[in-house]
Amino acid sequence: MKTLLKNGRILDPSQELDFVGHLVMEMDQVVEMGPRVNMDECDEVYDCTGMWIAPGLVDPHVHLREPGQEDRETIISGTQAAAAGGYTTICCMPNTNPPLDTPSLIDFILDRAASPEAGGVFVAPVGALTKAMGGQEISELASLKKAGIVAASDEGYPVQNSLVMTRAMEMCVQLDLPIMAHCEDQNLSAGGAMNEGAVSAMLGLRGIPRTAEDIMVARNCLLALSTGCQIHIMRVSTWGAVEMVRQAKYLGAPVTCEISPLHFSFIDEMVGEFDTTFKTLPPLRTQVDLDIMLQSLSDGTIDCIASDHSPYASHEVEAPFEEAPFGAVGLETTVGVTLTYLTHKGILSPLETIRKLSTKPAQILRLEAGTLKPGETPVAQVTVIDPDHEWTFDRNKTFSKSKNTPYHGAKFKGKTMLTFSGNEIYRDAFFPQERYRLQD
Amino acid sequence: MVRTRLSSIKKGRAKLPRNLTAIRLLHKEEICELLDSSADFKARVIDGKAIPSLGKKVVGMLFFENSTRTRVSFEQAAHYLGLKTANFSAAGSSMSKGETLKDTILTLRYERLDALVMRHRASGSATLAARYFNGPVLNAGDGQHEHPTQALGDALTILERKGSLDGLTVSIVGDVEHSRVARSNAWLLSKMGAEVRFVGPRTLVPTPQHIGMLPGEVFHDLQSGIQGADVIICLRLQKERMQEGMLSSIGEYAKLYQINRDTLRYAKPDCVVMHPGPINRGVELDDAAADSERSAITAQIENGIFVRMAALNWVFGENDMGPRAVETPDKSAKKAVKAK
Repeated sequence: MKTLLKNGRILDPSQELDFVGHLVMEMDQVVEMGPRVNMDECDEVYDCTGMWIAPGLVDPHVHLREPGQEDRETIISGTQAAAAGGYTTICCMPNTNPPLDTPSLIDFILDRAASPEAGGVFVAPVGALTKAMGGQEISELASLKKAGIVAASDEGYPVQNSLVMTRAMEMCVQLDLPIMAHCEDQNLSAGGAMNEGAVSAMLGLRGIPRTAEDIMVARNCLLALSTGCQIHIMRVSTWGAVEMVRQAKYLGAPVTCEISPLHFSFIDEMVGEFDTTFKTLPPLRTQVDLDIMLQSLSDGTIDCIASDHSPYASHEVEAPFEEAPFGAVGLETTVGVTLTYLTHKGILSPLETIRKLSTKPAQILRLEAGTLKPGETPVAQVTVIDPDHEWTFDRNKTFSKSKNTPYHGAKFKGKTMLTFSGNEIYRDAFFPQERYRLQD
Repeated sequence: MVRTRLSSIKKGRAKLPRNLTAIRLLHKEEICELLDSSADFKARVIDGKAIPSLGKKVVGMLFFENSTRTRVSFEQAAHYLGLKTANFSAAGSSMSKGETLKDTILTLRYERLDALVMRHRASGSATLAARYFNGPVLNAGDGQHEHPTQALGDALTILERKGSLDGLTVSIVGDVEHSRVARSNAWLLSKMGAEVRFVGPRTLVPTPQHIGMLPGEVFHDLQSGIQGADVIICLRLQKERMQEGMLSSIGEYAKLYQINRDTLRYAKPDCVVMHPGPINRGVELDDAAADSERSAITAQIENGIFVRMAALNWVFGENDMGPRAVETPDKSAKKAVKAK
């Protein structure tokens, strides 16, 4: 089987490539790429004129909810949503029930993700940093790494005790394992439901102060500097956190960070009349923060974009604001939001967009992904995006089991059209039929 | 056959329900209308004149938090208006069996209740109830958000004593951060032209940087906060604030913020002292201030009934002058266009 992606804009940040040309896949691998390729004997041809041909997208931060919370999402529905979003590799978070703190659970995840019903997307599990994510005893990280985890994290239950964190970091240095750190001082944030500020004061909601995030980012940066442990700061939201990361990078600390689309498209005022779909962790901040986020995305201080796909059942979301869960689904909107809010506004070039959505997260977590170089990924991972396709997002037409998203009804410019992982795993309904040709 | 019946029911339901979830969302004209109607109801009740009945309607009283005065006051108001009430409390309801608030509201909707009076510990719960009830919802206190009828009762009381709200200086003293009474009062009084001040320790009032969306000025010193005030509204101090480390002790709070004979000297000589109750005597208020002729606390309680009559009457969209224009979706759409 020989597949030709014809006449697209090839964007591969791993090789700094940005040109109009063709890409040929054969036997599950990219075999040729360039302005002129051998088009003979192609079995199928996709005309990608006006579209981007990029390495399959990589999401460092996804909640698949399995095992234990299958009413919100499953590995099967989550990987299908990922494929529809253009992702070929996703990292799944350990805050399941039970948490991913033993090798057998990692085996279970990998088995399920490889099943034929799943979306054909590579799932890279992230293990719990401490047992049961309790923040006290370090997990059996060596065994977990052997089972296949790519990083360790306590996700929404960040280790509060700095001594425990230091020891966990020492262990991770020895194992050459990155730590993904959600940063929140839970004494400062206790009981909070949204950003502490004018809006929370008006609505009578307890606030989560920006210092809750800033202090923990600072601590983790300092510990990374002293231990040498690689730290990936998850979903930054405050200007202080970003400045701390900037400083840590300047000092040579092995620190990277990600942002979720929510935090570069919305601010706390969007909560309006207690709209729980805008309840996120960290909370939506203010215009000042948003401006710094855009600037830091542009200058590279923020390394990558993570969907922070956090599915919740409708009955959990349709609750009083304080009782509703934090988070939103994002696998199927991240490309649309990123292109609409960043690329088309000139914040990121097309090449930088793909770097933040694919190459950089793969490099941070040392995944065999994020590149079109032949042989550097297990199979050819390619995503085709139409940057100019205008569409309206409808949460009722998604692969995810959950519908908790503030983007319902939002208009986007830019959509994933095709996803390949070895072979085609997703083709969008808006990809014109006449652009696909199967040769006899 | 079935189809025609269904469509006629739908027609009857087409009007948009009026809710009283937050003073913040009311226009000045609506507040004036509510206060006028309250005064009218008060006159009728006190003079023993006829009160127009609202007919065979049933009001659900859904109290998830303890309440004595607000519940009794709404019951009295409903009674005067000839309405029936159906009572629910958190302990006896299906909420204690794990039902979600949304499902409870939907159940009451299909029990064919005509309006809902609700108190709940979560801010914004009245908004949620209004979203699913499809009939008028009256907020009887939602978390730390709003308590609209309390503010209306307080405003009526101030009006009776001062004749007008415009131009008055009103100091709200105490735990503003956690007070729905403070928020509703601040919105109502400022919309009516009064100058609102929030007075309290830094741990219990929003910081000046965060006050931007609440109408009021912040003071941390009692003397300057009530200097020249026409009205002082004391808030109840919850004991939990000590456990949460927001205050060192009740004694220290009383020394700094108690309204008593001495501290009242800073306010205007004819300053009105108010309190939403229940009072911690000797903490936020001393006996001399609570029981003096300046105190309007008993008037607040009594006026609570009349403003709740006005509120019930208002949400059902009629008044004693005859049926009022019912807002249909079409009409309100036209209005919006006109306003533009």
